[in-house]
Amino acid sequence: MSIMENNGGSVIAMVGKECVAIACDLRLGNQALGVSSDFQKIFPVTDRIFLGLPGLGTDVTTLKELFRFRVNMYTIKEEREIEPETFAHLVSSTLYEHRFGPYFIEPVMAGLSKTPSGGFKPFIAATDLIGCLNFAKDFVVAGTASSKLFGVAEGLWEPDLEPEDLFETISQTIMNAVDRDAYSGWGCIVHVITKDQIVTRTLKARMD
Amino acid sequence: MASADGGAYSFSLTTFSPSGKLVQIEHALAAVSAGTTSLGIKASNGIVIATEKKTSSILIDDSMLDKVAVVCPNIGIVYSGMGPDFRVLIAKARKSAQAYWKIYGEYPPTRVLTQELATVMQQATQSGGVRPYGVSLLVAGWDINRGPSLYQVDPSGSFWAWKASAIGKNMVNAKTFLEKRYNDDISLEDAIHTALLTLKEGFEGQMTEKTIEIGIVTVPSAAELEEGKIGGETGRPKPTFRKLTEEEVRDYLAL
Amino acid sequence: MLSVPHQQPNLHVQQAHGPQQRHFNPYTENGGTILAIAGKDFSVIAGDTRQSEGYSIQTRYAPKVFRLTDRAVLAVNGFAADGNMFVKKVRQRLEWYRHAHAKDMPLRAIARLIQTMLYARRFFPFYVYNILGGIEEDGTGAVYSFDPVGSYEREACRAAGAAQSLVQPFLDNQASTAKFSTSRTIPLTEELRSLSFSLSAELFLSGCYPIGNQTLVSSRPTVQTNPYQSARQPRMDNAIYHKWR
Repeated sequence: MSIMENNGGSVIAMVGKECVAIACDLRLGNQALGVSSDFQKIFPVTDRIFLGLPGLGTDVTTLKELFRFRVNMYTIKEEREIEPETFAHLVSSTLYEHRFGPYFIEPVMAGLSKTPSGGFKPFIAATDLIGCLNFAKDFVVAGTASSKLFGVAEGLWEPDLEPEDLFETISQTIMNAVDRDAYSGWGCIVHVITKDQIVTRTLKARMD
Repeated sequence: MASADGGAYSFSLTTFSPSGKLVQIEHALAAVSAGTTSLGIKASNGIVIATEKKTSSILIDDSMLDKVAVVCPNIGIVYSGMGPDFRVLIAKARKSAQAYWKIYGEYPPTRVLTQELATVMQQATQSGGVRPYGVSLLVAGWDINRGPSLYQVDPSGSFWAWKASAIGKNMVNAKTFLEKRYNDDISLEDAIHTALLTLKEGFEGQMTEKTIEIGIVTVPSAAELEEGKIGGETGRPKPTFRKLTEEEVRDYLAL
Repeated sequence: MLSVPHQQPNLHVQQAHGPQQRHFNPYTENGGTILAIAGKDFSVIAGDTRQSEGYSIQTRYAPKVFRLTDRAVLAVNGFAADGNMFVKKVRQRLEWYRHAHAKDMPLRAIARLIQTMLYARRFFPFYVYNILGGIEEDGTGAVYSFDPVGSYEREACRAAGAAQSLVQPFLDNQASTAKFSTSRTIPLTEELRSLSFSLSAELFLSGCYPIGNQTLVSSRPTVQTNPYQSARQPRMDNAIYHKWR
């Protein structure tokens, strides 16, 4: 029995036109036993970055706090908010610190990064459990339903989706993927990040 | 107890004198004041740091001597005071910059590196068995957040940001000179000339490319910035700090 | 393709360790992916044609979708040798049926026959996942899917094989957001082909080439001569296939 599958759960992030979206399921289980249907795996890092932490439940909580600590220290020391690219490297190096006794988490990040000209550029990234970064241009997936998310996203995603269409795409993707995964599901949460607002919606899912 | 040589309190660093002074730090500042003059000027489109390079004998191969040091592609430092202490600090600064890169995938902003160095220097005023560093530093760098910035760090660990400053033997005269010459929209070219003129004021002997060292910070253009962002992982952004070559220094001196 | 571990029997070792058990694994997983979609009055059954063993590709053209009757198509995925033998046996039974009844066996009867044939080998199964698609007697499109020992179910859509986990939720989505129509479904299988083509992770096991891809449409003649199909994929022709190698 894999530790990565002990508690279940999945996260996906997608790029749209001047926006990004990130979504997770809400299940926390103990192997086949469902324990909670209100276990969020995505956390805000700054006003423009979200971090998804699918994997071992205890490490979700631990890493959430560890990154809160490290990002707060960064913000105070540098007197500025961390940029998504920089944060992705922080996540990577933090995980690699535990190369031989890793946290059982495969983080997914989504955010908007500032461009030198003052605009915003969509950014998504994911790493494996020891911090190998994957900067994708379309979407990233992780968790027990990752292969299912991959298949649906590959079929539904298209470039330059507007925020509403991106929401529909990521919602359809995660809902259909977790419905075929015994370890994920029990509801979903979707965040759509645009330059002037963040829309968060909770999706009702099948409970069987 | 109090005497001309500092008295009993001058030996232990961790002991304040009754007047509230840590005398060793003042001695360290004295060592700085005995060092060769260095200066830095922040221009509208960059920064120049410069120093005079004095050798005690004509037999010394001065090509070995480096007083302006590159810490990382965006930061350089010049010093006045004790050379060996500077070398140790540069080694620490370079390590710190690389450690920062390992965590964040980019080099530290000038302020963060300066703070780190200041902390190292402060530690030497509070730890047992060590003496303060006998140097003052001028740290010049560029970062996306604050643009070009120039800091001075003293042996006490205090640091300030300057528009223009001088340290070392002629610092008082040099600062007065800079105050007269400085204005907010000076260009980097003009700043380099001002720097050379300022050094000339207190210079003993001939000013040549062998006896002058110059480092400059340039501000990348919008296009270069955009390219640097795209380069991200593998394509390194163009360095914003570099030392002038002897040829370049000679050309500036000729003008 | 079976791998038989060939070792020289070592008499000294045998004597030292007493009786030794030799084992032979009669099964191999040959990769690949198949899928089927049921529409109102048609169904689409598709499969890639790559056959692999581990990370090695044995051939890029080994079809695993077979026409059984004018209204039934069977896709077999898993152990290729078992699959081929199974199709052969099903076809034989269908021929006997034609001789006895002077008509083709109806789809639901074929489905039940397949269950019976699979369960007959309950203790030495055909290592094959079957998907049967076609037209029922009442004219509706149908898809039946089977496990290797004969459990079966009629469904709206089904994927099996190496990319099952990628394709199945996508089919679920397409089935739930819109009813399948011929005009929608054939481009959809094209999309799925490019899907398995672009999924580099699964390319090892189930990648396919445009002309090597089989799409058999079990329906009325109008659908079989679909302009889309004839324009893009004239025929499965080895001459054209070679251009893609």
